Amino acid sequence: MSDIRVFKAKTILTMDPVQPVASHVAVRDGRILGIGDASCGDAWGEVIHDDRLADTVLTPGFVEGHAHLMAGAMWAYTYVGFHDRIDPDGRVWQGVSTAEAMIARLSEAARDLPADAPIFGWGFDPIFLTSERVNRAHLDQVSADRPVAVLFSNFHLMCVNSVALEMAGYDTTTNIDGVVRGPDGALTGELQEMAAMFPVLRRMGIDFRTLSQSAEAIENYGKVATRAGVTTITDLYSMLEDEDLDLMLRLTSADDYPVRIVPALGASGVPGQVADKALALKARSTDKLRLGAVKLMTDGSIQGWTARVRWPGYVGGQPNGMWNTAPEEISALTAEMQKRGVQMHIHVNGDEAAEVSLDALEAAARAHPWPGARHVLQHCQLMDRALFARAAALGVACNIFANHIWYFGDQHVALTVGPDRAARMDGVATALNEGVMSAIHSDAPVTPLAPLFTAWCAVNRRTMSGQVLGGAECISVAEAFELITLGAARTLHLDSEIGSISPGKRADFAVLGADPLASDPAALKDIPVLGTVFGGHVHLL
Amino acid sequence: MSRLPLSVIGGYLGAGKTTLINAILSGDHGLRIAVLVNDFGAINIDAALLKSADEDTIELTNGCVCCTMSGDLFYAIGDMLDRAPRPDHVVVEASGIADPAKIATLAQAEPDLRYGGILTVVDGLNFPRYLADPLICDQVRAQVTCADIVAVSKSATDAPEIAAGLTEIGVTHWLSASDHDMVAAALFGDVDVAAPEIQTSDHHPAYVQWAARDLDPMSRSQIQALMATLPKGVLRCKAIIPDNDTQSWEVHRVGQTLDISARARSSTSGIVVIGPQGAVTKDEIATWWAARPYSVFELT
Repeated sequence: MSDIRVFKAKTILTMDPVQPVASHVAVRDGRILGIGDASCGDAWGEVIHDDRLADTVLTPGFVEGHAHLMAGAMWAYTYVGFHDRIDPDGRVWQGVSTAEAMIARLSEAARDLPADAPIFGWGFDPIFLTSERVNRAHLDQVSADRPVAVLFSNFHLMCVNSVALEMAGYDTTTNIDGVVRGPDGALTGELQEMAAMFPVLRRMGIDFRTLSQSAEAIENYGKVATRAGVTTITDLYSMLEDEDLDLMLRLTSADDYPVRIVPALGASGVPGQVADKALALKARSTDKLRLGAVKLMTDGSIQGWTARVRWPGYVGGQPNGMWNTAPEEISALTAEMQKRGVQMHIHVNGDEAAEVSLDALEAAARAHPWPGARHVLQHCQLMDRALFARAAALGVACNIFANHIWYFGDQHVALTVGPDRAARMDGVATALNEGVMSAIHSDAPVTPLAPLFTAWCAVNRRTMSGQVLGGAECISVAEAFELITLGAARTLHLDSEIGSISPGKRADFAVLGADPLASDPAALKDIPVLGTVFGGHVHLL
Repeated sequence: MSRLPLSVIGGYLGAGKTTLINAILSGDHGLRIAVLVNDFGAINIDAALLKSADEDTIELTNGCVCCTMSGDLFYAIGDMLDRAPRPDHVVVEASGIADPAKIATLAQAEPDLRYGGILTVVDGLNFPRYLADPLICDQVRAQVTCADIVAVSKSATDAPEIAAGLTEIGVTHWLSASDHDMVAAALFGDVDVAAPEIQTSDHHPAYVQWAARDLDPMSRSQIQALMATLPKGVLRCKAIIPDNDTQSWEVHRVGQTLDISARARSSTSGIVVIGPQGAVTKDEIATWWAARPYSVFELT
């Protein structure tokens, strides 16, 4: 029996300039043996022809360079977001666009859940609802005797019903930051920030820690990835405690686990200890769990006005944002990681955070030369041409948050940085022109995991209101396609193994219903994902 | 179960939070204190006090523990509430850039916790430089202005540059961070207010302590009004005050933050007030108490 399998497809887009298009790909031992026509495997011996994918278009498996394992876990609860989303098992959850629809959705969940299970909605975003702000009275309609809570999509706010308020002991005498009152002095049910939310979460038995580390979360992560055509995905801020690591190693090593995970260790604390832990983790890497990188948080978010921005600041006059890691700690951590050979992913939303991080990277590069370190700035939302040029000169990669254009672009124009800088936000064309090693990402579950949608955002730069934000920053479909495959692979130091359909690389493919390069760029996001091939194994939906 | 007091220690990088925490952990306060830290980096426990240590917990022979918060701080505090037996007091070390108020708010929101105050350590060498640095000045300032207790490390408390910086941002009283007895009294002054030794202890080298017992009943609003007039310089006040035949008030004040809760009528009552030597005198406190503008007669 031959161990060479030749897949036939309608079209194979390889992202390999030597042979950009083919009809067949030969696979052995989970890796790519040859690309071309039906005879592409013949030089290597007897082959099996596999026509299961004959009506599909194959591309390199998508690589999501910035996502979080929590994207798999949230589905334990009820989705009440504004946009349609597909759960790990393929069910389409219609977006919720009115308070009434949200009440109906949660009421249905309450009927299906055991009497002691929390009724917990997630993904909600009030800025998209035109009706009155959601309050406890709405959620009291879901249940008058069980706690009901709805977590907002930013994870910083929630709204709860009267029973939940009572459980936490919140009443008219409560005077606590984040426990919101209406004009009449009564509690509205809205709770802001973790200190106010935690008493309710605790009593409802909802533990964010298990959301990012349970077996179910890891299994679901594989499923949501396959549905999006993703074969390699990051988990960009992981605590990676011993028991978590054992669980991840065990689950991901199963033959049918369909995705390669690249976690990055959360870098806080004593730099030397962070490096020690990262290097110890690296030694435990397997094919499907690539350890050794770290993630550094610097500032907050632009839409939360917590990103550190340069002059002239926020258009509404809000004070500058907040550091999550102090500038001098950023320098110290960067120097140590560079010295010890640990790759860093550095969260920078605001341009001041990008500048401070580039300063630290430049100093580290002088002190401890490491050509090819390929540290990655993550989000890069307000980086201008000069900052991108600095990144390129330093060999620092940029993974740009393209999805923001659509999800928050209108808000950025009106409420955060104003029209001029909003038009330049997430400037992928500028990054490419400056020669930056680039990628684009979703930050799932902040926005949905869907690289084709992310590519569509970078190509079209449409906002939710339909306007094109900074048309000069639009890129071509071919460029966008490279960013969600080879581009993202480069940011993970994995471009020698994945990212294109080239001889010797892993046989990881996205299985699509149409050829993205031959489709209308405006319809890129609508191309069906039929599944993946991972290490030569077919995972059709 | 009585509420678990939670205090937060804030302060910018290198201010001296860990030095203070080392002192708290090994101090002879007689309390089982649980300290939550970001990492064990500079935690330094005398070998004679060390009972056990693993990756994320250090146990001391005096009953104190030190745990790392790996992951989520709030859930780590939740773990402390679930610990059996519960510690006597939880102290959270805020990271060098964190806003301690965001953590301390939990102690006001969570019914099983009691607000135990924010102590911010000010770096007595570098504070003026931080206030002049546009990258970090806002966050450094907020760490200090939210504090109930400010403690200066590494320099004399009356060093002119430090005093000028603190005064400029509105701080009126501060301690020396090396005055561990005063710091412990301010943070952990959860004493038996009716105990005879509290009543009789005359003076302590580090701080002024004044006490009274067998108090007349007061209403919640009367207590609020009274506490609003406490002499400046008082850092800590605890009182058990009768309300009526069935309940008493338990009153805690740390810095400027007042916490009044109802509890079953206590057979004893009393009040203890503490402040640093030099910032307040026993006479001032006694005068404040004597001048309270109401008495049991108003209630009958």
